[in-house]
Amino acid sequence: MSRARITSVAALAGLCLLMGAVFTAVPTLSARGENKGPETAVPPSTALWQTEPPDSHPPFDSNACLLCHTDTDETITFPSGEELSIQIDAATLATSVHSNMSASPLACQECHQPPNNYQYPHVPFTAQSVRDYEIMNSSACERCHMQPHLTSHPGPSSENPVVCTDCHGGHDVQPAASWHTGANVENCTACHEQQGVQVTAEGATAVIQAGLFAAQQIDNAYCLSCHSQPDQTMTFANGDVVSITIDEAGLHDSVHGASNEWDELLCADCHQDYTFPHEPVSDVSARQYSLNQNNLCQRCHEDQFAKALTSVHSAALMEGNLDAALCTDCHSAHDMPVPNEPRSRINETCRQCHSSIFDEYAHSVHGEALIEEANPDVPSCVNCHGVHDIQDPTTAEFRINSPNLCADCHADEELMAQYEISTDVFETYVADFHGTTALLFAHEGQEGAQLNAAVCYDCHGIHNIKAPDDPESGIKANLLETCQQCHPNATENFPDSWTSHYKPSLQNNTLVYLVELFYSIVIPVTVAFFGLLVVVDVYGRVRRRRRN
Amino acid sequence: MTTKEKQPQYERFRIGARIEHIILLVSFTVLAVTGLPQRYAQHELAQNMIWAMGGIETVRLIHRYAAFVLVLGSVYHLFTSAYRLYVRRERNRMMPDLKDAQDLVGYVKYNVGLQEERPKMRKFNFGEKLEFWAVVWGTAVMAITGFMLWNPIATTNVLPGAIIPAAKAAHSYEALLAVVSIVIWHFYNVMIKHWNPSMWTGKLPRHQMEEEHALELERLESGETPWPQVPAPILRRRRIIFTVTSVIVGSIILAVLVWAFTFEETALITVVPTREVFVPLATAVP
Repeated sequence: MSRARITSVAALAGLCLLMGAVFTAVPTLSARGENKGPETAVPPSTALWQTEPPDSHPPFDSNACLLCHTDTDETITFPSGEELSIQIDAATLATSVHSNMSASPLACQECHQPPNNYQYPHVPFTAQSVRDYEIMNSSACERCHMQPHLTSHPGPSSENPVVCTDCHGGHDVQPAASWHTGANVENCTACHEQQGVQVTAEGATAVIQAGLFAAQQIDNAYCLSCHSQPDQTMTFANGDVVSITIDEAGLHDSVHGASNEWDELLCADCHQDYTFPHEPVSDVSARQYSLNQNNLCQRCHEDQFAKALTSVHSAALMEGNLDAALCTDCHSAHDMPVPNEPRSRINETCRQCHSSIFDEYAHSVHGEALIEEANPDVPSCVNCHGVHDIQDPTTAEFRINSPNLCADCHADEELMAQYEISTDVFETYVADFHGTTALLFAHEGQEGAQLNAAVCYDCHGIHNIKAPDDPESGIKANLLETCQQCHPNATENFPDSWTSHYKPSLQNNTLVYLVELFYSIVIPVTVAFFGLLVVVDVYGRVRRRRRN
Repeated sequence: MTTKEKQPQYERFRIGARIEHIILLVSFTVLAVTGLPQRYAQHELAQNMIWAMGGIETVRLIHRYAAFVLVLGSVYHLFTSAYRLYVRRERNRMMPDLKDAQDLVGYVKYNVGLQEERPKMRKFNFGEKLEFWAVVWGTAVMAITGFMLWNPIATTNVLPGAIIPAAKAAHSYEALLAVVSIVIWHFYNVMIKHWNPSMWTGKLPRHQMEEEHALELERLESGETPWPQVPAPILRRRRIIFTVTSVIVGSIILAVLVWAFTFEETALITVVPTREVFVPLATAVP
């Protein structure tokens, strides 16, 4: 170094010393933790630096570095052949948020780590290239900025990383506030352009101002900063256009939302691996997207999911019917209500696809009570069909077991008493030919054996069940026609051969009652008569044997 | 009282009666084994029995075949009875009379010690007549009610519908009555108190004759034949007439029976109502 240069460096050093004296009230490192940082629009929850200094920092003196590095033509040559100037522009350094005159001053060695490598004479670099050096050196930022904010930019461990200094700069690092003014947005646009992605300055600024880069965790506010904006849509490769605007109130009131008694879910709990900016969605259609997302529900709802896998919906899906109901088709995705509150919601849910069945149900004795009176006892869809493990109701097995479904309520004395409905229905059914056959078929459990005896719904109807004495379509209105469904040759008298679920009495099924009465006398009398004769004979034999 | 020494044997049943008994025994047993589990279908044991026999539909078929055999056996009995009464000119010894009532009273008195002498009974004693007429009654009830259950549509073409459940109740209770009677009375008399071989060998040992048929024993020991003898030429002529008549009448009855047992199928093989298969709407895009 020439004498002149040493002189000028010494003058600068002197100036610095003077300024240092002025700022004695600002102790260099120990004061940093108390700094509240610049007063900017940065969201309050996002402390961008740690509050404690690194574990150790050796004595340092930036001035010593600057003695040489502010006035030099020298360069470092990397093994890659690249050359890098070691000249530091003092003016640039002075604009840095970490300059000696700033609120959070740093010495050179705070970033140029480890300090021992930077004692004079310096230890040679191990970096192979300028880029290599930048990547290695950016790790020093994390000494203080231990929780870097979220970004989808690939980190230092990736093949082609974007590191802190790429955006924030090295010696001229700016306060975070400056990013919100759009001042440094050309860092974004330049780099993206280089990668072949057109990013406008306004767009980049808007994203930054939305706080997307400042957030440290993806909470719902983070996502909703964009997704609560109205009229946002997304177009899938097949042309499906779906709204990506989320109804904030609906989300809040959802079973997964903040207003329920359970833990609130975060957007990212379901939409996993979503960072900002988003990776493009690879699903070609909206349905494909839903199908691929469906598995997420089982992370919490394992039992329900396992049951659903055994359902008729899952079976249809496996057979390639992509319209078969998924979790979200019934429960919806974002404004998910409690599925059975009110109970009529259940029917409305099924109605979305099974509308013609719903129409039948809505006019049935059960449906009318539920829809019009909010009756808590009548069956909704799920009481008969199950909830998640909904089975195919057209199978032989379902048919055979169906009387038990009806009996669940209709044999419940307490429940039926409220409506003055007889609970003899199941017992009298099983006691009769149809029911006995059904019972035995159920016991035999022959796979696929079609029960040819009538079950409850063959006579009473399925979804369109009416009260038996309904004048228009109750079962009593035209019983013969009902019988003829299975017994086509049945004539006028035939329906009376059915006991109408009445236990035999003098009033109902009188003939059966009389027959039973007859035998209830004849059988005990016969048994007693023969029994007595046998006893008498045995007695006589024993008596005679003893006598002989 | 069984004794060790060889007992003289006395003619009791000819081969025809023994064959009838076997037909009745087999068909009755099959009917009971396939029928009672249907009566008690709500019980696990009954369900397992039905399962073991091939399922309810098979069991019902077996029951109906056995019923056919029982009815055939009953018709056959009518023919053999006619043969014995009109060809052989045997006396009808099955009709109950006052002596049967006296024998019953005597039997009880003798056993409880109120009477020293055992009542002397005829070829068919009061207990056997009771059993015979119980079988006649039972078979008639079971055949008629069984036919109604088998052919409910044909039955209700003629009779009021309420007859069907009543027939079912009667069929069910009568079955119980029959089985209970057989087990208590018949089993006790022919197998438990002593082994009565007459339905297998046709003969009864002397001590059993003494105990149960003392009058018949006296009759046989006085040199009378067990059954009346008919001179050969007369027998031949009557046999020809009987054979021709019975073949004609028998064919008609058999034809009627086969028709009655096969003409109605809808009660056994009903049609399961077919329903429109539901096709759901396509799921709305979320």
